[in-house]
Amino acid sequence: MSLARFLAKRLLQGAFVVWGVVTIVFGLRVIAPGDPANVLLPPDVDPEVRRQVVAELGLDQPLHVQYWKFITGVPTGDLGTSLTTGTEVTARVARSIPATLELAIAATVVAVVIAIPLGVVSATNRHTAPDYGATLFSLAGISTPNFWLGVMLIIVLSVQLNLFPTSQRAIGIPAIFDLVASMQFAAALEGLRTWLWYITLPAITLGTYFTALITRLTRSGMLDELGKTYVRASRAKGLPESLVRYRHVLRNTLIPIITVVGLQLGTLIGGAVITEFVFDWPGLGQVLISSINSRDWPMVQGSLIVISIGFVVVNIVVDTLYTYVNPRVGFD
Amino acid sequence: MLEDSPDRRGFLKYAGAATAASLAGCMGGDETTETDAGDGDDTDGGDGTDGGDDTETTDDGETEVGEFEVTITQGNMPSGLDPHDHRETPTDVVMLHAYEGLITRDAAGSTQAALATDWSRVEGENAAEFQLREDVTFHNGDTFVAEDAAYSINRIVDEDVGFASPQRDQLAGVSGASAVDETTVRVELDGLNPIVFSEFATYCDIVQKSWVEDRSKSEIGQEMNGTGPFQLDSYTQDEEVVFTRYDDYWDDPAEVSELTFRSATESSTRVNQMLQGETDIIVNVPPQEVNRINNSDAGSVSAAPSTRILYNGMRYDVEPFSSKQFRQAMNYAVDLESIVSNVLGGFGAQTGQPTLPEFVGHNDDVDPYPYDPDEAERLVEESGHAGVEIELNTPVGRYLKDLEIAQAVAGYIDELPNVSASVNQRDFGSLTDELLTGNIEDKPPWYLIGWGEATFEGALVMTALLSTNGALTSWSNDEFDSLLETAANSTGDERVSALEDANALANEEAPWIFLNQQYSVYGVSNRVEWEPRSDERIDAYAMSPAE
Repeated sequence: MSLARFLAKRLLQGAFVVWGVVTIVFGLRVIAPGDPANVLLPPDVDPEVRRQVVAELGLDQPLHVQYWKFITGVPTGDLGTSLTTGTEVTARVARSIPATLELAIAATVVAVVIAIPLGVVSATNRHTAPDYGATLFSLAGISTPNFWLGVMLIIVLSVQLNLFPTSQRAIGIPAIFDLVASMQFAAALEGLRTWLWYITLPAITLGTYFTALITRLTRSGMLDELGKTYVRASRAKGLPESLVRYRHVLRNTLIPIITVVGLQLGTLIGGAVITEFVFDWPGLGQVLISSINSRDWPMVQGSLIVISIGFVVVNIVVDTLYTYVNPRVGFD
Repeated sequence: MLEDSPDRRGFLKYAGAATAASLAGCMGGDETTETDAGDGDDTDGGDGTDGGDDTETTDDGETEVGEFEVTITQGNMPSGLDPHDHRETPTDVVMLHAYEGLITRDAAGSTQAALATDWSRVEGENAAEFQLREDVTFHNGDTFVAEDAAYSINRIVDEDVGFASPQRDQLAGVSGASAVDETTVRVELDGLNPIVFSEFATYCDIVQKSWVEDRSKSEIGQEMNGTGPFQLDSYTQDEEVVFTRYDDYWDDPAEVSELTFRSATESSTRVNQMLQGETDIIVNVPPQEVNRINNSDAGSVSAAPSTRILYNGMRYDVEPFSSKQFRQAMNYAVDLESIVSNVLGGFGAQTGQPTLPEFVGHNDDVDPYPYDPDEAERLVEESGHAGVEIELNTPVGRYLKDLEIAQAVAGYIDELPNVSASVNQRDFGSLTDELLTGNIEDKPPWYLIGWGEATFEGALVMTALLSTNGALTSWSNDEFDSLLETAANSTGDERVSALEDANALANEEAPWIFLNQQYSVYGVSNRVEWEPRSDERIDAYAMSPAE
């Protein structure tokens, strides 16, 4: 199968998945308890005002009309207007995407930078102190709930030691790019420092589970590979051990890790919710939670749709990359 | 220790100023909401962290004396900036810094002059008149006139003027307004409306007629032009509202030079922000976090009774709650004093009537029910409902410690040998749906709910919650209704005494298990001198630098 056909097929599948998600989130709104008008309006409001508000929101329309309006809006980027603020959902959600992407990517970088060397050290020093240390670390990392870790990092590193800010995002990457574009390099550099300073704790919090996961994966993958015939053959040929380990074994080990990193990036986008909440990070998760709290259904639906589209896109990219890296898989 | 190092503050300010300058450059720099349509980045450079001193060195090296920047962190950001299109406290708190009403309230709740200097009923007619203050200017420099006041009132009560304002019922009984001359506005009333001035002291922010008419609904929701002590500097929806002092304010200028509103939904996030010196005032400190703040160098906890009352409604039309003895028994069975001190950590007050002490109509002679399980047991026997099983429907996380209060209440009742009680945790939305249908049959027989009333009017609380046709009522009593009717058609002492009688009757008939008055618990930084108020208003105009 050619790359083009492969992509077309994957995109079509992706579109179906998104359609399914859109339908499910619409259905969720229908079955969820709580009339949005009751949450929006005070209990003692004039019934006439209530009726008008319900009509303005289109909630008095038959379900199939509401569904059709909703589903046809998605391809054009029209996700409705927020019930609480009256602003466009698309604009609001789009505004929160950079923050979430920054966090997900930073967490991935933290994870990859720490996990792969740690996994390699662990596998190549099997049953020694470094291996036990790394195993203990991954066990702890996988078992630690990230909301707890986040709160602990804040209490120790921010509140007690005063090393980092507790929360929020003072500046974002797009603003730093604007500075670079307007040739203000010194300010851009300061902006980057500020950004790093604010993102460190959330990125560690979000990345810890992922770090532990990749460490274990690298370790076991590497051990698998080390036991294979080609390794023995390479050693028998007299190749230096470092070349065997890092040129051949690690490279083969990395193939499945790319998949996991890619898929996890998708998960991180959706899974950043709790971390964003703890660190008051103004991303998609923050929008999602506050909209759920205020029963702002269009916002809930909009952020879920964007998260699912992100997931589908990341999946397609990972699949394509994977096939590219490992030609044995093929585009079929 | 908790202040930021000069180094950190320096580079933050630098980065922030540079970023803001760059963005302003890109966008023309004349929009108050320049960051709103952007990329979601807060261009402020994070200078909410500016710690503690009143003297700042600015970027160009000049020293400004008397600068006093304050940051307030609420649980939610305002839903928008249109002063007439909201009904939530967090939005109100932001509004009151830029917009003012004709009359207002002081911290104790009593009516005060604001944009009107004098107000009175028009003899012999269903109307009232306000004499307006002269030399008041809007933030755009224009002078405030009676036409603006009339327009603002009509914008709320008449949907043909603007839109269906959710504040319309808060000016109930007001049918319209007109300007008599430059400084007099006349308000038409449907009837006697004994609480009209109380309504105006709580609602009806004044906007400028021409400014509103020149703007779309969405622009009014993102810009501000009021007469208040602060003017809008920038607004990033859902992230930040920044005000600066309005130097041409008709009264003394505020001591606060720059005021920033932010939000953090999670209470421990707010507490940490405060401990770290990133914010100066935080709302809703949970009781378990109080010591962490009080034991720190950053600030302390300050609390005030709020206008919110929590209660357990009991449907009068279903057994066993149809029995007065049973309802009274439920009140005797609950150790309210212990709930207030143990569950709420002292941040609450016991109630024994639907009207709170600060409100018009509170009956000072009515006390909360004492804890008397023996009396409760006896009354249950007398009611003939011994052995009954009942279930308390409660929302979770909507009010301070709501679930814990419900569990304690059900626990005390369950301890009675002749009643068993349990708690049913409910989604707030579905619970309110059942409470708001208007049919008593749709309501759960026994439920926990709260009600906040910023007008300080016991009559409004009792009408909504206990009169036969009230929005949330699950009780009906002819004598009670007629007392409210009397109050609605009288003024002065006669009205107050009818309301006091209604409160005494409610205590006696026990349509609720009377619970607590909720407290507003704030964390206040050591840099700021400020006293919390019972109407949940956080007024930066009343703040000054701590000595």
